[in-house]
Amino acid sequence: MEKDGDLMPGTLDMLVLKALARGAKHGYGVAEWIHESSNDVLQVEEGALYPALHRLELKGWLAAEWGTSENNRRAKYYSLTVVGRKKLAQEAEYWRRMSGAIAKVMQMA
Amino acid sequence: MSYWMRVKALCKRKQLDRDLEDELAFHLAMREEKNRERGIGGEEARYAARRQFGNVTRIKEASREAWSFLSLETTWRDLHYGARALAKNPGFTAVAVLAIALGIGVNTGIFSVLNGVALKLLPVPSAQQIVSVDQIIHGKVPRNVEGEAGLFSYAEYKNYEANNHVFSDLLAYAPFLDPTTLGGETPKQLTGAETSCNFFDVLAERPALGRTFVKEDCSAPGASPVVVLSDDLWRTRFGADPKIVGKNISLNRAKFVVIGVTAAGFHGLDPWPSAFWVPVTMQKALEPQRDVLGEDNTGWLALLGRMRPGVSLEQVRADLGVIAGRIDQQYPGRTTTLAIRRATFMSRTDERSDVFGIGEIVLAAVGLVLLIACANVANLLLARASARQKEIAIRLAIGGSRWRIVRQLLTESLLIAFLGGTLGSLVAFWSIEGIARYVLTHLPHGAGELMWNVSPDLRVWGYSLALTAFTGIVFGLAPALHATRQDLSTAEKGDGGGLTGKARGGKLRGTLVGVQVAVCMVLLIAAGLLMRGLYYAQTADPGFEMKGITQVRFDLPSQGYNLEKARPFQRELMARVAALPGVDDVEQARVTPLGHQWEVTGLTLVGETQQRGFEFNVVTPGFFTMLGMPIVRGRTFTEAEARSDAPVLVVTESTARRLWPGQDAIGKTLRNGEKTQFQVVGMVRDSETSHLGQTDGLFFYMPAGPAAQDRLQLLVHSRGGDAATANGIREAARALDADLVVDVTKLEDNLEGWRTPSRIVAALSGVLGALALVLASVGVHGVVSYGVSQRIREIGIRMTLGADGREVMKLVLRQALKPVVIGALVGVIGCAAVSQVLSNVLYGMGSHDPIAFVGVPLFLLCIAFLASYIPARRAVRVDPVVALRYE
Repeated sequence: MEKDGDLMPGTLDMLVLKALARGAKHGYGVAEWIHESSNDVLQVEEGALYPALHRLELKGWLAAEWGTSENNRRAKYYSLTVVGRKKLAQEAEYWRRMSGAIAKVMQMA
Repeated sequence: MSYWMRVKALCKRKQLDRDLEDELAFHLAMREEKNRERGIGGEEARYAARRQFGNVTRIKEASREAWSFLSLETTWRDLHYGARALAKNPGFTAVAVLAIALGIGVNTGIFSVLNGVALKLLPVPSAQQIVSVDQIIHGKVPRNVEGEAGLFSYAEYKNYEANNHVFSDLLAYAPFLDPTTLGGETPKQLTGAETSCNFFDVLAERPALGRTFVKEDCSAPGASPVVVLSDDLWRTRFGADPKIVGKNISLNRAKFVVIGVTAAGFHGLDPWPSAFWVPVTMQKALEPQRDVLGEDNTGWLALLGRMRPGVSLEQVRADLGVIAGRIDQQYPGRTTTLAIRRATFMSRTDERSDVFGIGEIVLAAVGLVLLIACANVANLLLARASARQKEIAIRLAIGGSRWRIVRQLLTESLLIAFLGGTLGSLVAFWSIEGIARYVLTHLPHGAGELMWNVSPDLRVWGYSLALTAFTGIVFGLAPALHATRQDLSTAEKGDGGGLTGKARGGKLRGTLVGVQVAVCMVLLIAAGLLMRGLYYAQTADPGFEMKGITQVRFDLPSQGYNLEKARPFQRELMARVAALPGVDDVEQARVTPLGHQWEVTGLTLVGETQQRGFEFNVVTPGFFTMLGMPIVRGRTFTEAEARSDAPVLVVTESTARRLWPGQDAIGKTLRNGEKTQFQVVGMVRDSETSHLGQTDGLFFYMPAGPAAQDRLQLLVHSRGGDAATANGIREAARALDADLVVDVTKLEDNLEGWRTPSRIVAALSGVLGALALVLASVGVHGVVSYGVSQRIREIGIRMTLGADGREVMKLVLRQALKPVVIGALVGVIGCAAVSQVLSNVLYGMGSHDPIAFVGVPLFLLCIAFLASYIPARRAVRVDPVVALRYE
């Protein structure tokens, strides 16, 4: 059932926030950044990415602005809001604890 | 913030759509470029990007959903779309809306009757504060009951009134008073009530004229002969006399002073309107034949209290429960439970069980009609969904989510439901009051006047709204789910009907037809049984002669007659009536046959200790001859036995059979308590003198002697001229006592009282059965027509290959009638199970009457056959060439 590179459930929002931590990106940029930063392991489904972006925008975690892309196309750029930044910190902390705990359990002989 | 953005989104819908489009297009373009960089050339780069991207439509829908404002917009669009779809198919829409209108209409009508009869609060100010109290007494303790088992004695009422902490005040009144004679030029029988003196204060009813009762009116028994008249009585009997207050009127020959007139529209607390009210302390003055005020263990008063502000029903129960417990201590072995409800016209336990018992059956019946209507519309929707299969398949294929399509189809069926529901409810609201008035004014002589306000209120509106919504989902959901669960490839190719396979959805359609037929069968058999019951009631021979007999009914004890006064009156009246021209026989009886009067007592068999309940009548020796009831063994009473009040009995055949099977009943004895031994001297043939259609109850006759004269009535046999005889009898009675109300009617008229209920029930069930039949036959016809149209190509091929018309016809009919026959069988079996419920109104006819159980199914099958035959014939006439091209 599960393909390689599928995201763990519930992690997409966090990854999107992380992708935008260093500055504004368009949707394609977010997908590519996640793909590359994970050494081509993680593959973001576009079918999930755009609804997620819009959801986060509605929640007020992301701000969006239309701008011009590197190859002179009209593109929608997303960036973190103050709330979004806080959420990212929380999510990251939560993830650190969870993954640490899971790793520990899995290392048990 | 996010709400605000959604509102903005709603306003700038088009802009947002374009933005979304742009955003996704940008993504695709970037992906394509990347692919090209990787060396994938030309067109292939674009396709790869598309493939990677996945389903564009679904992404769009999901993203839009995030923006939409509580999905209001989608609903609006669905509504718009649904309305357009319905308008495009006016034939389909009309049939569906009409079917639902019929179903919802009868349900709403019946419910508003039930609401008016038993659910509406009393029409008094702040009615929600008024609660009714009645009691259920457990344990084997002696208790006298006048009217209903749940009523209270005066002492019990005083106890509750003085010791409760939850009512601002508690009233009592006697709901079951015998008719009272209002004296005057022409004496008239009235229904009135005896009430506690706070009666009008608790109800917050102000008089239109004069005053109502004050505390002093109830200070001592017999102290205050005052009466409050109803507006109706004041207008009809006293010509709306503005100076009525202070005048004397005569009630049961006692003088009462009029102190007030109620406001128009106040009729008391029962469905039968009260004409007057007197203080409860005047009970003996109004009813000289009984004295219940001082009887602490006789239940005769109904209690209603007005709750103090902030008090709950629970608190009332707890508080009154304590008082009930204290009363129980006076009667060892007795435990009392109280039933406390918000007061309506039918709030006491006994009344409610009657109304709700009947109400449940009727609601079930109209519910079944609605079920047929739902199955009908569901079937139509299914057929339509098949016609729209391609459209739906394409929408699913390009990524429309199933939920969205189901939702849209449901919106459409809800739209149908609301159109039908509104239409049906409006017609019901508009007509039900007229129908109820018609029925109530056509009750037989002696049934009394009834007043029910069945006009719809908020509760009825709510009921029909909820029912409508529920209906829309019930008939819409299955077809919607069915239509969206499909095998894409076949649907897109078009499903012109395979040669071997059944048309899609055939099973569901067949089931729906089966359900309709089964339900219709239940309703029709019930209607058939009831109609047969009516026919029986109209034509049945009750086993005794009624022709030429006039009954003369009067109530002496309530008019102050004791035995000494009654004897000469009876003697004189009989003599004068016997001397009338044409009269050849005059007999006396305590109750007249089938006169809705019953006398009951307990007698003990030799060798037994437990009493058995008997019905009885007290009659003169010639009674049996006059009524043509042959004495099959022994003899009737002798004149000597009658004159001496001898302890002898005549029993009915079935009584003898039950008490002394295989033995001779003559000479057997029955004991009345310790005192009297009665000896059986005769056995009379069974006849239905007490309940129409029943002869199997224990029943005996006693001779009418001097000790019985105060409670006897007359039966007069005459040749010819009933009207002349009746007038002669009235004159004779008037000459003896001008103030006595004497009711002179033909004995045959008593049958009306038995026929009317079965006539009403048969009419209602006949209408429901006819509705069910129409709906079900439309359903069967629709499904078979659709099946034929789906298989037209198959039929064409068969015909081309040489099948002849008859064979094709057989094939079509066999398939069409299979679900019908199965449904019919299920319906017959189901009805056999429920028909016991109806046995009460079937007057002596078995509830498994063969004519109803064989005739009705055959009739229904014939109708179903016709409904299938018409479209089947069309199938056979198909031109093969046309059929093959048909799609």
